[in-house]
Amino acid sequence: MKGTEVIFEDVSKFYGEVLGVNKVTLHIPPGITSLVGPNGSGKTTLMNLMTGLIHPGRGSITVLGLSPRDPEQLMRVTGYATQFDSAPRWATGMEFVSTGLTLYGYSPTEARDRAWQALEQVGLTEAAGRKVAGYSKGMRQRVRLAQAIAHDPQVLVLDEPLNGLDPLVRAETISLFRRYAAEGRHVILSSHVLQEVDLISDQVILIANGMIVAEGEIRGVRDEMSEHPSQFIIRCRDASRIASLLFCEDHVTEIKMNDDRLGLLVLTRNREEFSRALTRIALAGHVIDGVIPSDESVDALYEYLIGGGRA
Amino acid sequence: MAIYKRGYERYRGPLNGHWSRLLVLPRFAWQRLFQQRLVLVLMIASLIWPLLCGLFIYLSNRLDLLPRIPGDIENMLKINGKFFLIFMNTQAVFSVLLAALAGPGLIAPDLSNNALPLYFSRPLTRLDYVVARMTTLVGLLSLVTWLPGLLLFWMQSGMAGWDWFTKYWYLGVAVFCGFAVWILVVSLVALACSAYVKWRIVAGGLVLGFFFILTGVAQMVNAVLRVDWGSLLNPTRSMYILWSAMLGEEPPPGPGVWACVAMLTAMAVILGLILERKLRAVEVIS
Repeated sequence: MKGTEVIFEDVSKFYGEVLGVNKVTLHIPPGITSLVGPNGSGKTTLMNLMTGLIHPGRGSITVLGLSPRDPEQLMRVTGYATQFDSAPRWATGMEFVSTGLTLYGYSPTEARDRAWQALEQVGLTEAAGRKVAGYSKGMRQRVRLAQAIAHDPQVLVLDEPLNGLDPLVRAETISLFRRYAAEGRHVILSSHVLQEVDLISDQVILIANGMIVAEGEIRGVRDEMSEHPSQFIIRCRDASRIASLLFCEDHVTEIKMNDDRLGLLVLTRNREEFSRALTRIALAGHVIDGVIPSDESVDALYEYLIGGGRA
Repeated sequence: MAIYKRGYERYRGPLNGHWSRLLVLPRFAWQRLFQQRLVLVLMIASLIWPLLCGLFIYLSNRLDLLPRIPGDIENMLKINGKFFLIFMNTQAVFSVLLAALAGPGLIAPDLSNNALPLYFSRPLTRLDYVVARMTTLVGLLSLVTWLPGLLLFWMQSGMAGWDWFTKYWYLGVAVFCGFAVWILVVSLVALACSAYVKWRIVAGGLVLGFFFILTGVAQMVNAVLRVDWGSLLNPTRSMYILWSAMLGEEPPPGPGVWACVAMLTAMAVILGLILERKLRAVEVIS
């Protein structure tokens, strides 16, 4: 299993006296993993560590069993799109991607073919012959993604890959990530757009002040947080009656009724008991149109764990 | 537990070797360098002296073409270590100017554009990157140093015959090795300056300053302290002493050959450490 995971074991990295990340232990399986945290929390440091651009002061890292200190091996299975816009001014999109591929040892013809395929995947073939310096922000984002995927990596590390993309391209890019994940590859990305993270991630890593606050599947992380009652929205016709029945349950801590009297917001300390109670109510003949967990999202986790639990 | 299928096949075709991959970087750098008119002009200017030296060698072997000039003309036009020492000294100046022009554009733009992560996200180590960048300078400086030097040596060997070659074969070795050491020092200076200062023009000035200011400092130390070891601080002087010894000529008064070798080694180590410190993929906060 270790050969298929990205593993951090007690990793710490300090920039002089400034903390990068501290005592990070992580096991990242294949799939889409999102790094979520405020600015300066250590997301990019984690990405730079796993791609070997910087090395930890303490601890060890392996990527699919490979050490980041060996770029000759590691960068053949890893593609990294940094957040920096660093394409040379003279290069066209095609030259930028294909030149990068020649550094992997591909022949010029193979490099051109692969560069074209990569540009095709990010929808940039029409602008392939134009200079990168003349690209818009979204196009630069896509050409960076193209150079990261061009050598067909097994681990894709992307720093803020959805920034600056228009909705259509964003949807296409997300479907590309999903395709990669479905093939058993790692897609590790950082993002501030929490709704998107929620939508695309198989697992999230919440990081604050250089320390891992939570990691795992969003639902699993939420289940672990016993100090914050779970929130559910219940759509029903007989809201006041259902509210009175739920109040009889010990685990229910708070109920708010919608203004239209057709919905309830219920806070419970025990999700399983709550589920059983709802079943009993439904079997007793009360019509429940729907139950939606309202805080099983990265947004809510972010607020609880990093934003101080204001939600 | 999510289930994932390995539905893709990685490229398993042939790949180019390590060294040919490294040549990708200098290839583009040379392309851009020779698009600069100033580099071309300087390159052509630096080949004038080797041409004159070639003419000198031709005449020294064809004394019958010269009108009768009083004095020991044969001895005056002798091709020996002194001749190659003068040749090397002149070409060294041109090589510094070329390095000052070409060197700063090698690393400084990568640093100012935050492009190092882009390079290091490839199968390249930091050492590979430095070697690739240095190859650009080595190639450029070779054109004006040991390549014309060896051409002159072979020209003289061809014209003067086997006897001259067996007597002076070490001159060819000295020209090659002497220039190799010089190119290494000049390249390290240019790369370190380029890595230290992100602004190309300032980095170019720094390369020239390194050689000229250290020359001045060395003379000041000698004059103020009434010593001669101050010359060690002058890389050009140290190299001249080393070349003199390699070419079998009497070294000028001053520090010994081994002291010069030690000083040049120390300089190379310091410059290497500067590169090691500055060439990081991520800005290090101190």
